[in-house]
Amino acid sequence: MSELERHAYDVLVIGAGGAGLRAAIEAREHGMRTAVLCKSLFGKAHTVMAEGGIAAAMGNVNSHDSWQVHFRDTMRGGKFLNNWRMAELHAKEAPDRVWELETYGALFDRTADGRISQRNFGGHEYPRLAHVGDRTGLELIRSLQQKIVSLQQEDQRELGDYEARLKVFAECTVTELLQDEDGRIAGAFGYWRESGRFVSFEAPAVVLATGGIGKSFKVTSNSWEYTGDGHALALRAGAALVNMEFVQFHPTGMVWPPSVKGILVTESVRGDGGVLRNSENKRFMFDYIPEVFKDKYADNETEADKWYTDADNNRRPPELLPRDEVARAINSEVKAGRGSPHGGVFLDVSSRLPAEEIIRRLPSMHHQFKELADVDITAQPMEVGPTCHYVMGGVEVEPDTAASRVPGLFAAGEVSGGMHGSNRLGGNSLSDLLVFGRRAGAGASAYVQGLTERPAAAPETLARAERSALAPFDGEGGANPYGLHMELQQVMNDLVGIIRKSGEMAQALEKLEALKAKAAEVTVEGHRQFNPGWHLALDLRNMLLVSECVAKAALLRTESRGGHTRDDFPGMDAEWRRKLLVCTASGDGVEASAEVVEKPQVPMRPDLLDLFEYSELEKYLTGQELTGQSGASRGEGS
Amino acid sequence: MTASATSAASAQDNTSAGQDKTNAAGSRGSQPPVPEGAITITVKIRRFNTEFDDEPRWESFQVPALPTDRVLNLLHHVKWYLDGTLTFRRSCAHGICGSDAMRINGVNRLACKVLVKDLLAGGGKATTITIEPIKGLPVHKDLLVDMEPFFEAFRAVKPYLINYGQEPTRERIQSAADRERFDDTTKCILCACCTTSCPVYWTEGSYFGPAAIVNAHRFIFDSRDEAAEERLDILNDVDGVWRCRTTFNCTDACPRGIQVTKAIQEVKRALLFKRV
Repeated sequence: MSELERHAYDVLVIGAGGAGLRAAIEAREHGMRTAVLCKSLFGKAHTVMAEGGIAAAMGNVNSHDSWQVHFRDTMRGGKFLNNWRMAELHAKEAPDRVWELETYGALFDRTADGRISQRNFGGHEYPRLAHVGDRTGLELIRSLQQKIVSLQQEDQRELGDYEARLKVFAECTVTELLQDEDGRIAGAFGYWRESGRFVSFEAPAVVLATGGIGKSFKVTSNSWEYTGDGHALALRAGAALVNMEFVQFHPTGMVWPPSVKGILVTESVRGDGGVLRNSENKRFMFDYIPEVFKDKYADNETEADKWYTDADNNRRPPELLPRDEVARAINSEVKAGRGSPHGGVFLDVSSRLPAEEIIRRLPSMHHQFKELADVDITAQPMEVGPTCHYVMGGVEVEPDTAASRVPGLFAAGEVSGGMHGSNRLGGNSLSDLLVFGRRAGAGASAYVQGLTERPAAAPETLARAERSALAPFDGEGGANPYGLHMELQQVMNDLVGIIRKSGEMAQALEKLEALKAKAAEVTVEGHRQFNPGWHLALDLRNMLLVSECVAKAALLRTESRGGHTRDDFPGMDAEWRRKLLVCTASGDGVEASAEVVEKPQVPMRPDLLDLFEYSELEKYLTGQELTGQSGASRGEGS
Repeated sequence: MTASATSAASAQDNTSAGQDKTNAAGSRGSQPPVPEGAITITVKIRRFNTEFDDEPRWESFQVPALPTDRVLNLLHHVKWYLDGTLTFRRSCAHGICGSDAMRINGVNRLACKVLVKDLLAGGGKATTITIEPIKGLPVHKDLLVDMEPFFEAFRAVKPYLINYGQEPTRERIQSAADRERFDDTTKCILCACCTTSCPVYWTEGSYFGPAAIVNAHRFIFDSRDEAAEERLDILNDVDGVWRCRTTFNCTDACPRGIQVTKAIQEVKRALLFKRV
């Protein structure tokens, strides 16, 4: 232990995507000595893959837009299960975060008068997504990265040290959070991916910004980093996760060739006019408009097509329904035998826009299909199908400060839960990262400033963390981590996927137990120097624990809502809207296991409830809730 | 399927860590079914592990692949089934994050964007694909290089918006034409394909390299930015744009299709004519 590398900071941010970088900037602006740790290289985080844009009610394209309309859309998209305070903060603050990003230097596509342009997207009533072609996430990360470089150069001029206030530690994985005897955060323990050496960071506040869990599923748009690390670290530290049963399957992932199955096809294709057709050349989405959305979505092609030029007087095309609806519809079409040759459906923009317009608006998609599938999207339809894309569930946090129930532990972005309810709208992720990244940075700073002493981890905690991390090198002949990972992905895909059944989920839980037992015996080859097999063995523990949360919560929720569809309980149940499922864990390392309990949802504040028509609330709330809310009798019209 | 060490030996390559490798390969367990239409490709990888190797060595693996597979899939096959210690970077796996730049058959490419069908040997001959780390940066292990010198050059050109005026209440106005002016150089994903394909960079590591110049260009020609002069001064340095020999390697290497050489020329012209 004597040679353990140690660092000390005020605020430690784990994850260098949009939320992590924004949190780090905020903490540094609050005078905190801040460190960012990331598994990949700086600037390569999963946020770069966001294509469509960042949702903010700036009203640059349609001046009718306002935070209230954005709030309503977000709640509808999440089927009213959202943490309404988070949705409110998000809708109110997103425009400021986009403008702020612009002052950092971000590039945006512009309107004719030079303001930030906004595009249409599923579930958003007005054109709301600020964007840069279809590479918005890349620009967001680059702008934050550039901002950090500029702050570091400022510190260099002032203090003679680039990293005096803000330092990024790349290719470093955290395996444990450190806590003092009272359970307060004291830092984090991890290893350098390159050398395999251990490192400890002392810090009274940790912001988790580790993203999602998609690598537990076989067909996914997520990259290798998405192994639920932050979710699992939070659980093991004593924090709770909410909404883990809600996993978003993006309706349009590539389905062919096999090597690229799951890679995302941006929703902008549909926002810009692309339509979904089955093997009978029918625009099938008209058959899948659910009751709650009938007044907002066109039931015929003529009206749907008119909407693109006259949105105020026509209802939206059903291709732009929230993602959960579209994903289920595609799934049903394929099951009914009306799918495309490779098991998806057709997404066609070639018959909808001139070729040069497609190349201008969707350059990355044009490129992606040409290069990877040999398909020219200006001349042919694409083949697409659902792909695991986003987890709505995550660390339960205080909306205003992003604080979890563990003192000193904060979470922002995909790893936090509540904001998106049962289903996230496209474009609401990038704005979520900035709004709550900033709030987590501020919340963590305020917490640290309020401390009278720095919590210290007991020395044996470090020794235990080290033993646990080295366990995969012990023993011989155990399972290969890659094989175990594939088994896990298959289980989650087949048994806890887009359509769920009680028996299958029970089976999944048995299999997860068996996988855990195998994972305890997993053996890795080679040495500690950049050893991807060892890294995966450690990531597997996180994936297994988080998958258990997903399966257990999904089994308990006997209704269908957003990103949770039960074949045996196909309807939405207003009683269930009032309940959250909260996951906690007990035990250590690979032995940790999850427990799920019900918790009542906090009723929405009356002034927010008043933003909705009574007739709409009737679709989601129980009779008891409605009679209790006289103020909701007449909401502002939409 | 041939185990790695056997195939390496048959290819008469350096198998200095061969003993270790045989056991390693043998412990990998069962392999996935070979898909219909698969062909066997010899994947010849430049390996280097400071723990065993005094210098880099070649190792070959036999990998079943579909023509539509990408080189990244071949590397995954090796790592998952043949040798779990093979080390390389990758993140998004479809050309946006810029993590998996490597030298594939002698040219810099992203492994996630090169299809096997484009590398097949003609006339029914067996195909060998060679994969090496990108050149000009220190190799840490196998295909993994130290990116720090590359990022250092990026940071040196002040790659962020500098504006001495008042902050706008909301956003700065920028016309579509002004925005279009530097669109090409904003596509950069910092993968290092361009910089590490540059013969000048190979011999003169102090040269800023194409990527840093591209990122300077992105701000020099941004109508909102006011520090073009500062950046031009930096690039007028002995290790700046004048080192460029206009070989176009960078433009050929760019996976984003950025006209890298043209951007460098535009920076040179701005220096010569003191005009942006």
